[in-house]
Amino acid sequence: MRQIQGNEHSRMLKDIGIISFVLVELTQYLDTHPYDKQAMEYFNHYARIEKQMKQEFASRYYPLNAALSQDQKEWNWALAPMPWEGGC
Amino acid sequence: MQDYSFDEYFERFSLAMAYVPWQHLTTIYENLEEAYKRGTIFPELDKPFTGRRCVE
Amino acid sequence: MWNYERRLQFPVNIKEPNAKLAQVIISQFGGPDGELAASQRYLSQRYATPYREVAGILTDIGTEELAHMEMVSAIVHQLTRNLSMEEIEKSGFNKYYVDHTLGLWPQAAGGVPFNACFFQSKGDVITDLFEDMAADATTTKEQPTISRSQKPLI
Repeated sequence: MRQIQGNEHSRMLKDIGIISFVLVELTQYLDTHPYDKQAMEYFNHYARIEKQMKQEFASRYYPLNAALSQDQKEWNWALAPMPWEGGC
Repeated sequence: MQDYSFDEYFERFSLAMAYVPWQHLTTIYENLEEAYKRGTIFPELDKPFTGRRCVE
Repeated sequence: MWNYERRLQFPVNIKEPNAKLAQVIISQFGGPDGELAASQRYLSQRYATPYREVAGILTDIGTEELAHMEMVSAIVHQLTRNLSMEEIEKSGFNKYYVDHTLGLWPQAAGGVPFNACFFQSKGDVITDLFEDMAADATTTKEQPTISRSQKPLI
């Protein structure tokens, strides 16, 4: 697993955090408004971006979901830092 | 004692029941990082706790 | 169900341990108005609703509360790292420490262990939704109460 160098890693995680949060909010709105076209468009737009960001993060550092584990030499899912260790 | 007749729709709402209005999507915050910090992407749901009155 | 993402929903980075604060914040983890109670409340209630939208939102919010529980647990964990025995005794944290040391165990600040009496799942969608609104309101009340009661220590 590539050595985690503070800044870029934190920045990417933060951006993923922001966009995932937007998706969570839209998800919950859509749960009660499943036919709202405008909300659906927002969701689709940000979902595409989030997917890309997570894949890029996984290829650079470690997968954020076990399902994103691919093309690895070691089991980065287990080697990755735990969320409660600080720095997200 | 305060006057509690808020508006003319008051009569349409039956007594002894509580009501929760539907949210309608208007806009979402443009600055997503700011929205993340405030805890919501919907401006109408951005109601910081002030410890006293309702935030409208 | 079940997918786990290896990141906190919002970052938690506490530089200075504070056992006194940890004892109070633990209520947001395992207490009656805490995140674990919230998640179990919503996840239990979703089965009896006659409306798919309500089941959907209870599922999504119920699982989100687990993410919140992880954040509060991270806070308590970081507040109790590297404490000296003297700090543990002085702060009163020794009462928790004797049974759990630095492990996370879901309980309220007053010591009441997490239990299902903290929530209700009545099987009636209106009743359950009112239970949820009350729960949410208590959380909104609890968090500033915690920060107000801890002012001199922050």
